Amino acid sequence: MPFRFLPDVALADVAFEAESDSLDGLFETCALAVSDIMVDPKTLRTTSERSLSIRSESLDRLLYDFMTELIVIKDVDSLIFGEFEVRVSPEGTSLEAVAKGEEIDRERHRLRNDVKAVTLHLFGVKHEGQTWKTTVVLDI
Amino acid sequence: MPANPAIKQVSEVTWEIPQSYKPGMQVPARLYASKKLLDGMDSGVIEQVTNVACLPGIVRYAYAMADAHWGYGFPIGGVAAFDTAKGVISPGGIGFDINCGMRLIRTNLRYSEVKPRIKELVDLIFDLVPAGVGVKGPQNFAQSQMGDITSLGVRWCAEHDLAWKDDPQYVEEGGFIKGADIAKVSRQAISRGASQFGTLGSGNHYLEIQVVDPDRYLDRDLAKEFGIVHDDQVMVMIHCGSRGFGHQVCTDYLRTFESAMRRFGIEVRDRDLACVPFSSKEGQDYYSAMVCAANFAFVNRQMIVNQVRDAFSRVFHKDAEALDMHLIYDVCHNVAKVETHTYDGTKSKVLVHRKGATRSFGPSNQDVPAPYKGIGQPVIIGGSMETGSYLLVGTQKAMEETFGSTAHGSGRTMSRTAAKREWRGAELQKKMLDHGIYVKAATMDGLAEEAGLAYKDISEVVETMDRAGISKKVAALRPIGNIKG
Repeated sequence: MPFRFLPDVALADVAFEAESDSLDGLFETCALAVSDIMVDPKTLRTTSERSLSIRSESLDRLLYDFMTELIVIKDVDSLIFGEFEVRVSPEGTSLEAVAKGEEIDRERHRLRNDVKAVTLHLFGVKHEGQTWKTTVVLDI
Repeated sequence: MPANPAIKQVSEVTWEIPQSYKPGMQVPARLYASKKLLDGMDSGVIEQVTNVACLPGIVRYAYAMADAHWGYGFPIGGVAAFDTAKGVISPGGIGFDINCGMRLIRTNLRYSEVKPRIKELVDLIFDLVPAGVGVKGPQNFAQSQMGDITSLGVRWCAEHDLAWKDDPQYVEEGGFIKGADIAKVSRQAISRGASQFGTLGSGNHYLEIQVVDPDRYLDRDLAKEFGIVHDDQVMVMIHCGSRGFGHQVCTDYLRTFESAMRRFGIEVRDRDLACVPFSSKEGQDYYSAMVCAANFAFVNRQMIVNQVRDAFSRVFHKDAEALDMHLIYDVCHNVAKVETHTYDGTKSKVLVHRKGATRSFGPSNQDVPAPYKGIGQPVIIGGSMETGSYLLVGTQKAMEETFGSTAHGSGRTMSRTAAKREWRGAELQKKMLDHGIYVKAATMDGLAEEAGLAYKDISEVVETMDRAGISKKVAALRPIGNIKG
């Protein structure tokens, strides 16, 4: 699994670290982690599609804003996504994404925790050798 | 936490860390803890409370209450007051879940009446009070109404027949904090919140049917002042906050503050302590938005109370008035408020941040509801779903020592991930049923994360604050039914 939960970080919330050999992959992995915290992906279909276009002032902020947008969509439109295709601009200050998922179905989905916000704790995007990495702590 | 020689004991349950401990500390730090709680406290609390002590304009002490544990910026269980002209406001000192808080409602039902029907009651409340991921409330309000709702709080509810006439009086600040301005709240926050009124959320939020527990503690004289007249009287406790609305307000303003801080030349030891001068435009904008979120939470808890009253009425075939389902009180435990306090011999307006801490105003205080002026405000401190909670009362000593503040709960000792590895939700549910507590949870994972052993001992926390004279015990409350998101 390209992300793993960190049991000793943030007692009251959930923390994970993610890595990928591409920046696009890192963003997709983080999005999958956010969804995984909220729903068992095995119970999620991908019958709906949403396009996202985000601009931010920095790469860190772009990832932060992307994950925040997924949380907002979950609350406003009751949509959770299980597949992501992300294209981060070369400057790292914008992205286009397609997110595939469906509306929350309390009967069929094995729901988990309600993610409410991305915190800044330990947050930052790092490029170490060939690998992009980040640590994310989510308020639930 | 290993012994730290910098921490000096000043009384049985009070400890201090001097200003000399860390460069930049403006004030000492003060901790309220028994020796047992102090030894068990994570070292992050010391790091964080002494970082808070470095913030501009802080007065008297940076406080950590008996339930303190590591948080974002401020420790949870942290209190700090700031000069309103020279001090800062910090979202880290309030928390993401603005006005996460507790509401306690009494009934005139006895345990023997409720116990045989607890499953029916809990199942019905579970159906009526949405909880968990992405839930929508039973009553949607138009986004155009959000300005009035978040300005007037529970008073708006009373004006629209969504609260009893006397409900606002029994909510902190009369059911709404002044100073809300919906124009300072983002469209995203409004969109997130508009459909979430009357929802419980998840995580450590809950709705609990409780019974007075005289074997653990009951001061019958004080309890009578709150309408608790039987040793086995049934209560309802609600723990939740401002939902996506408050979280988005915090998210939005953390971003604003990160860049604004540079303009003000403020440097902090921890980016989660992002702050700006309270008197600045950014500070005032955040305050106005935070107040909207705080009032949202008061309304959210009110909507849940309406559903609970409906459920009891249906199960017991009497209307909620006949069941005496009046509010005892509603307290915030994540908020910042402008309050007048006397310290260093002078009465001053200060901005008091309480993050995982509860107001604990003593008798005669003008902000205590009239019926309670003789005894002090109720303080509601929630424990884990297995251990129960406490009703306490505020004191004059709290006014003198802690800007009228006390603890809020028991505090976690174990992460959610670790708790899920340790326990299974279904096994925990059965174990609780064997102990007389019927639990209905939206998810079994969520239940496992909230196991009692993942939290500190609530009785130790409450006993500490009582021995410190900061909040006085009134009644222990034992859970018999619980709804979790």
